[in-house]
Amino acid sequence: MRTFWQLVLANARDIGRDKMSLFWFLAFPVLFILLFGFIFSNEGTPTYDVGIVYNSGNPLADGLVKGVSAVPVFKVHTGDREGELQALKKGKRSLVVEALSPSFATMAGGDPLKVQVYYNETQPTARQVLLPVMEQLLSEAERRMTGRPKVFDLVAEPVQSSDLRMVDFLLAGILAMALMQLGLFGAMRAVSLREQKILKSLGATPLRRSLLLVSEVVVRIGMALIQTFLIVLIGYAVFHVKILGSWLALLGAVLLGALTFVSMGYMLAAFPRTEEAGIGLVQMVQFPMMFLSGIFFPVEIMPSFLRPVVNAMPLSYLADLLRQIMVAAPPEYSIATDIAVLGGWAMASFVVAARFWRWE
Amino acid sequence: MRRMDAVTVSGLRKTYGKTVAVDGLDLRVKAGQVFGMLGPNGAGKTTTVEILVGLRTRDAGEVSVLGMDPAREGREVRSRIGVQLQARGLYPRLTVKEIVTLFASFYDRALPVDEVIEQVGLTAKARTVVRALSGGQAQRLGVALAMINDADLVFLDEPTTGLDPQARRGLWDVIRGIRSRGKTVFLTTHYMDEAERLCDNVAVVDHGKIIAFGSPSDLISEHFEEQAIEFSNSVSRDREKFEKLPGVTRARLSENAATLYTRDVPATMTALMQLATGDDIHIDDVVVRRATLEDVFLKLTGRRIRE
Ligand SMILES: Nc1ncnc2c1ncn2[C@@H]1O[C@H](COP(=O)(O)OP(=O)(O)O)[C@@H](O)[C@H]1O
Ligand SMILES: [Mg+2]
Repeated sequence: MRTFWQLVLANARDIGRDKMSLFWFLAFPVLFILLFGFIFSNEGTPTYDVGIVYNSGNPLADGLVKGVSAVPVFKVHTGDREGELQALKKGKRSLVVEALSPSFATMAGGDPLKVQVYYNETQPTARQVLLPVMEQLLSEAERRMTGRPKVFDLVAEPVQSSDLRMVDFLLAGILAMALMQLGLFGAMRAVSLREQKILKSLGATPLRRSLLLVSEVVVRIGMALIQTFLIVLIGYAVFHVKILGSWLALLGAVLLGALTFVSMGYMLAAFPRTEEAGIGLVQMVQFPMMFLSGIFFPVEIMPSFLRPVVNAMPLSYLADLLRQIMVAAPPEYSIATDIAVLGGWAMASFVVAARFWRWE
Repeated sequence: MRRMDAVTVSGLRKTYGKTVAVDGLDLRVKAGQVFGMLGPNGAGKTTTVEILVGLRTRDAGEVSVLGMDPAREGREVRSRIGVQLQARGLYPRLTVKEIVTLFASFYDRALPVDEVIEQVGLTAKARTVVRALSGGQAQRLGVALAMINDADLVFLDEPTTGLDPQARRGLWDVIRGIRSRGKTVFLTTHYMDEAERLCDNVAVVDHGKIIAFGSPSDLISEHFEEQAIEFSNSVSRDREKFEKLPGVTRARLSENAATLYTRDVPATMTALMQLATGDDIHIDDVVVRRATLEDVFLKLTGRRIRE
């Protein structure tokens, strides 16, 4: 046991004093989160500026203001006709609404009241989204005024989390990516220990090699936990990402993910002779995973011929699992599938690593 | 039990593809000795040591280290010896003290860390990271790691290679210190003077074979009753002329030096001086010395040990 802790301590010190690896391990994921977090956090729920032509003396104008203001995505501006239309032309309004003064025919109870809506043709959302909303608004008002009973009552209820922001989505993905890099690049340390003949020096002592390997893995897992803590902390402190799932489940997923990629790392580390060659090999594996497993782009936008590749990558499953646990994102795969695929990769890599491993 | 052989080897063979690294080696190392394996680069010294400590497999032969076979009981063997490998590496960012402490944790009977660091003269460097050590300091750290186990047998593979003369002498004292504590030292070297001064017994190896075995003084007197006269000589290539001088048994000529082995130093010197004045041969930097292991190696192989 004393030997084991001495080894863990030696590894931790050797890694901890390596400024480069500290950067990749701590600063890099943090920078990623901050960068992408800020890029995407501006894009919250969209609001539309709606101008209402307010001509006093028109009893409908007040009702219109009240009704439109009640729609959360509408920001209401009032003004005279000239001013509002000018603002619409300048792109400062998405929509301008004017209730026309009731005509004589209307008074007589014949024609309906006219509500004029102006929109900017170059903004497709105005026509596609806002006009139906306005229409809905008016028919609702009409129903209330005429006292007609409601036939349909739409009950909208979110099945998923409150509302998933891009940052929530990204945070879990970046954690998955960090765990992947920790495991894959971390195992390259074994190549460097071999290349520098450190493994050989240790081999001339009664130290059991399995103990050495376990101590390396334990240090990696420790680093994975530190990374997770850091990423979750920044997510919470800077972007208010709350962990919705249980901490225990998160811990389990992080451990599984770390083990899978450490295992894969040792599989890759079995072959190259130099650390340089090893890093090249890892880059070849980790780059496609980083971009194709739905961390930065949703899997849906990828061409269908890439789907099998995506479905083979363990990172897709770890990111999906973490997203489901951390921010209750809609599942890409079921949790059971995630766990099974990750476990499968871990086992398969372990078998290959054990088969082809060289100590010198 | 105490005085049994620390290491015995018979008929040891190891090949790498077509290279025969060790070619039927027989060795016997008595407990309590400093034993030296002396030979040029590529003679098979490192291969032998690595087989003895269980890092490599052998192709043929019998090997016993402290009564055990390192191929079958490697871990047990390694727990009872100390090893300094020639090709080794250490965690570059750990300090001397941290490394020695780590290695101490591998053994049941480890010596106090500070004491061992003191013995190899690294106390002032105890807090220096491995990366920042000079070649000589790294070499001494290697010896410290071989000494940290309170073992009966210590293997040192070329412990003084690359050190300056003063540092080498310092290490010799460390090695004598190990012997004075009743331990056995198995060391390899390609320095003749090191083997001669430090070792109780020497095996001279070349091309994976033992070509001479015994104590340095026995080896020298066995091969040479003569003393050696050396001088620089850039003119005469005529070996026979030198060998006809009185007392001379053999003469060796190299590019710009000559060595005469003689039974009668005064007679040879007198004749040599006459030759020099008469024949107009230029003789300079004359040294008279006993024969050394270098001469033995030269005689047995026709080559100098370090080309
Ligand atoms: N791993 C190896 N693979 C192939 N050849 C080797 C290997 N190790 C040593 N040799 C060869 O075996 C011979 C003996 O080498 P070595 O035992 O290192 O000699 P020494 O330690 O006396 O210099 C050399 O010719 C060397 O090139
Ligand atoms: Mg060697």
